[in-house]
Amino acid sequence: MIWEVFRQEAAGDYHTHCGNVHAPDREMAKQFAVIQHGRRKPAHSLWVVPQDEVAEVDEDEADFGGSTDKSYRWAMTYNDVEPAAREVADSEAEQAEAGADRGDS
Amino acid sequence: MAATADLAFEDLDDDEREAVRTLLFRLADDEYVTAERYTEWQVRAPTLESDLALANIAQDELGHARLWYDLLEDFGSEERELVWERPPEAWHHATLAELPYEEGGWADAVLRSYLYDVAEDLRLAAVEGSTYTRLRDRVETVENEEDYHLEHAQNWLERLVDADAGHDRVQAALDRLFPYALTLFAPADPEVEARIDELGLRDRTLSELRRDWLDRVVPYLESLGLDVPDPGDTDLPSAVGRDGEHTDHWNDLHEEFTRTYRDLDRQGTVRIMPDPDDT
Amino acid sequence: MDIAEVRDRAGPREFNAGDDMPEEYREAATRMIQFHANSEIMGAYLERPFVRQAPSLDRKLAFSAKVQDEIGHGQLLYRAAESLGVKTRDEMLDELANGEGKFLNCFHYPMDSWAETPMIAFFVDGAAMRRQATLKSSSWEPYAHAMDKVCFEEGFHVKHGEDILRELMNGSRKEQRMVQDAFDEWWPRIVQFFGPTDDDSTHHGFAEEVGLKQMTNDQLRSAFLNAYVPKAEQYGLEIPEYPRIEERDDGTYEVRESDLDWDEFFAIAKNDYEPGVGQIDGRARTQEAVEWVRGVLDEREQAAGTTAAAAD
Repeated sequence: MIWEVFRQEAAGDYHTHCGNVHAPDREMAKQFAVIQHGRRKPAHSLWVVPQDEVAEVDEDEADFGGSTDKSYRWAMTYNDVEPAAREVADSEAEQAEAGADRGDS
Repeated sequence: MAATADLAFEDLDDDEREAVRTLLFRLADDEYVTAERYTEWQVRAPTLESDLALANIAQDELGHARLWYDLLEDFGSEERELVWERPPEAWHHATLAELPYEEGGWADAVLRSYLYDVAEDLRLAAVEGSTYTRLRDRVETVENEEDYHLEHAQNWLERLVDADAGHDRVQAALDRLFPYALTLFAPADPEVEARIDELGLRDRTLSELRRDWLDRVVPYLESLGLDVPDPGDTDLPSAVGRDGEHTDHWNDLHEEFTRTYRDLDRQGTVRIMPDPDDT
Repeated sequence: MDIAEVRDRAGPREFNAGDDMPEEYREAATRMIQFHANSEIMGAYLERPFVRQAPSLDRKLAFSAKVQDEIGHGQLLYRAAESLGVKTRDEMLDELANGEGKFLNCFHYPMDSWAETPMIAFFVDGAAMRRQATLKSSSWEPYAHAMDKVCFEEGFHVKHGEDILRELMNGSRKEQRMVQDAFDEWWPRIVQFFGPTDDDSTHHGFAEEVGLKQMTNDQLRSAFLNAYVPKAEQYGLEIPEYPRIEERDDGTYEVRESDLDWDEFFAIAKNDYEPGVGQIDGRARTQEAVEWVRGVLDEREQAAGTTAAAAD
């Protein structure tokens, strides 16, 4: 049985997928994951999940974020106003970065 | 089938322009009014997750309407005339789109979405090869978002009919909506319809689309254990929408969504997004 | 873990569902996050009519997306609250429906015209975002994670709200007057957004000691006024004379709290204020109407659970 492993580097971080292990049950999966995925890179916590329980939807199946113009959802679209406060500017910068990662112009 | 060439606005005479306009208004108005109704579920859907999903579908449909209205701007109108200042009797959506939901009418919402989305799927397929290039070029973008809508409606229907409480409500919604769904295929003016077909603006006639639609929705709905009214025995409702005749509900809805525009004495609209031709 | 250890360790994102948190922490955190989640829902309730009433296609799209995001924030926050193990989401939503659930003062007032929308979409959202930015450092990790996504999205809301304000204040005299009227009415409520000063704040001390919140009401209000008073003035809004607000030597603001109606504020805090009660009941009624759908989903989930259990 395959178990997917998610590692959290430090308290407060997100658990991100880092690999998987073969194991016959949950206890053994946790034990193996500690060594295989936690022995060198920083680890504060691991989540171990049966692969069969992970449902996937990928971009062949889903049109993530849609295909028509949805720029009304993004702070960068409102060019006629300057961010009122630092946190608004920070949010806009994060959105701009995500937009670039998505391949938006 | 007459035209094989690519048609642009400049190539068309007045009668032909009327045909293109009729087709575009029907696409745009159906999407717009359907979306207006969907947005009523915002903050009212059964769960938070289903609220988010239906809101997204509403935005998709509004975005499609925006694309079609934009093509109508080629004919010399602006958004203000196309939407905000157009009198209710000059709208051409099918009356299926304008009916209000009963309170708690989630079965109506997902069934109506299914009936409409199948028609939309067929109608878009029929204009994929349209001779009117401006229309043809936008079809794929719109189709990409429609798949989710249809799956969403079917997923819900299949789950609702599985429970007694759900089955009866879906059946009641079907009995109520079925005659209105047939208005999707009602002609505006038979002469204009013939021109649409002759110009090759679409490659299926309305009656062919109606048949294709029945061939899909009837077996599917029956497979869910629903009794589908006999289309041969079903009279169209007195207001079909396509000819500008609507139910009273439409006047109320129109009044509501134009309220701010009128209250503020607006004479134009604000754009946030770039023109679709510039993206 | 005992309270002393919690106080000792209470850094940003320090605790999560894997930690054995004391009852007092779990209850305080639940109260705070549930309040926040309820506020997202009731804010969305207040803004939803303006999806319909927006005066252009693009504004309608943006308003729909904004209301959608707020419901999404509710979803994130109820999950963060649920992770404390005190109440389920269903319980919290039931409490909101039956009038036990508390939420922000500003969302107890009615909103009738488009000219009012920037009051919430710009000023209240701006105030909320000021607070939310600090809550990214909350000691309850699921709360801080929810704030990451909320703050990511919220920049759109505040800029969108400001853009509506900009449009209206550059519009006709009538539009400008309507906005000023709305501002006169809403300004004291907006100033009250952060609650009374810290001396009167009942739950603040503990929440700060255990790292659930990071800044005092007074600090937050001051930072908000610092950024948003100049914005209001920039668009030609006149700041009402009352409540009197004076700048201190260090650039922070002092609000004469005796100028504000705290009887109304505390009536609202107890869900005892008439328009707010109507809004709570209005939402409850529409949710009751789709209870049957949730019943169908629950039935299905239970059936699936039974099948899964039988397969083990």
